[in-house]
Amino acid sequence: MMPPRRPPKPKVPGLIKGLGVTFGEMVKTLKPDSRGGGPVTVFYPHEKEEPAPRARGVISLHEENCTACMLCARECPDWCIFIEAHKYLAPPRREGGKPRQKNALDRFDIDFGLCMYCGICVEVCPFEALFWSPEFEYGEPKIADLLHDKTKLGMWFETVPEFEPYEAGSEVKVKKVPR
Amino acid sequence: MTAPTESQQLAYIAQQAADSRVNLEFETDEGMTLNIGPQHPATHGTLRIVAKLDGEQVISCEPSPGYMHRGYEKLAEVRTYTQVNTLVNRIDWLGSFANEVPFILAAEKLMEIEAPPRAQHIRAILFELSRIANIALFLGDLGAQLGGVTAVFYAFRDREFVLNQIESVTGGRFHPNFDRIGGLKDDLPKGWIAETKAAMEKLRDFCDELETLLIGNEIFQLRTRGVGVIPPEVALSYGLSGANLRGSGVDWDLRRDACPPGLPYDKIDWKVWTHPDCDSFSRSWVRLQEVRESTFIVDQLLDSIPAGPVMAKVPRIIKVPEGEAYVETENPLGAMGYYVVSKGDLVPFRVKIRSASFSNVSIVPWVCRGVYVPDVITILASLYFILGDIDR
Repeated sequence: MMPPRRPPKPKVPGLIKGLGVTFGEMVKTLKPDSRGGGPVTVFYPHEKEEPAPRARGVISLHEENCTACMLCARECPDWCIFIEAHKYLAPPRREGGKPRQKNALDRFDIDFGLCMYCGICVEVCPFEALFWSPEFEYGEPKIADLLHDKTKLGMWFETVPEFEPYEAGSEVKVKKVPR
Repeated sequence: MTAPTESQQLAYIAQQAADSRVNLEFETDEGMTLNIGPQHPATHGTLRIVAKLDGEQVISCEPSPGYMHRGYEKLAEVRTYTQVNTLVNRIDWLGSFANEVPFILAAEKLMEIEAPPRAQHIRAILFELSRIANIALFLGDLGAQLGGVTAVFYAFRDREFVLNQIESVTGGRFHPNFDRIGGLKDDLPKGWIAETKAAMEKLRDFCDELETLLIGNEIFQLRTRGVGVIPPEVALSYGLSGANLRGSGVDWDLRRDACPPGLPYDKIDWKVWTHPDCDSFSRSWVRLQEVRESTFIVDQLLDSIPAGPVMAKVPRIIKVPEGEAYVETENPLGAMGYYVVSKGDLVPFRVKIRSASFSNVSIVPWVCRGVYVPDVITILASLYFILGDIDR
């Protein structure tokens, strides 16, 4: 049952074979070619890699569309969205009509120190007010600064990319970002 | 601050005594006690392994998990099915998508709905991609444990190709949260199929490279052959699963033997790899072949994606009807199952998670008896567990 402890001696020693592999890899990184050659890393602060358009970097808010319905705050698994709103009467659309009741957003905060980046809030939003942006450089020295308020979340909205087209055979409609 | 009352003091002393009793059980008078971990690279997280030594030989060895317990089974009782999905992502963090699949399939079984064929195909592709990402890192990490550091850099580099593909379709590199009851969150972006095929080509190159660099190396074979022999009957009695069982020569794969409805593994042509040697080498070898086989599975699935919707008709607010369901799938680490009990509510009444690593490390006391100290690391690395999967 017990296999032999010492394997048979190979013709070419493993050391030479291993050095061959590492030398081949070294040569491959020197020059970019069609088979994926060239350097595999980038000099980060000077060069930046482009994340995928669907990448979940930061949540952005399109404030005009938000009606403070609280669906996102309720569905969030760790309750990191804080919303406060008040009602007000807007002037009627047509002459002589009734004044409309509308919700105004007082506070819309997302605590990115708590956020799990699951994307449920973006998915449940029925009014297209929340979007993912692939932006990722918003680290802060103080954890309290990770609480983004509605102006900061609104600023992220400019970085939201357009939705990609789908692969052949798909029946899902491509959505549009309301700019 | 007020002084503690006498009852508080007594409770504190009793607590301290209980803690020290637990430690005393592990520590011994004879020989020497060696703690491997909680912070050791071979433990993939924080697993403490208490080894009692006689010189260089291990007399007995006891794993002590629980340093990373997060209480997911309890948390799942107060979260809706979509929210539980984000939690189970974090169980085995190297192959996250594979954790979602059995849970969603169990919920679908209770609701008696089935995902459309296109969603099933994409689900299986992502399932295999997460297996490749997980095991590719194992292959590199195994080298690092045994002193061959080059392999781990190659593994991290080539795993990135797979993670990029997962990111461009799901949006998350490690925590996709892409599976939904009745289908998937979204469809594939344009050009993804061709990119994934190119990535699979690179992963096959990586497998060939590692076969020359690591698995075929005679120093590696000296360190792993005949170390940590687990006979098939012992492996079965300890409940090992996945590549650990196949490395013991048992031809067992849930994808082929008991594939739950909702994964199209019966429609493609593939092979289950086994190795008769039962030692650390055979377990590593089986995993290497599995990565290669997975790339072929992905290629076949990509060629045969049917057109159609990715989401079945499900109500907007999901209430799972009353009942119980158990679904088990072959995850990167082994058999992973979810036992979901529902009382017809928004949240599951009880979720029991059967994770592969917990059973896989349970064999450590048996297999580590009498081995030398460096071989403990070899055995731990070749058993391949992830702490999130043990402690949950």
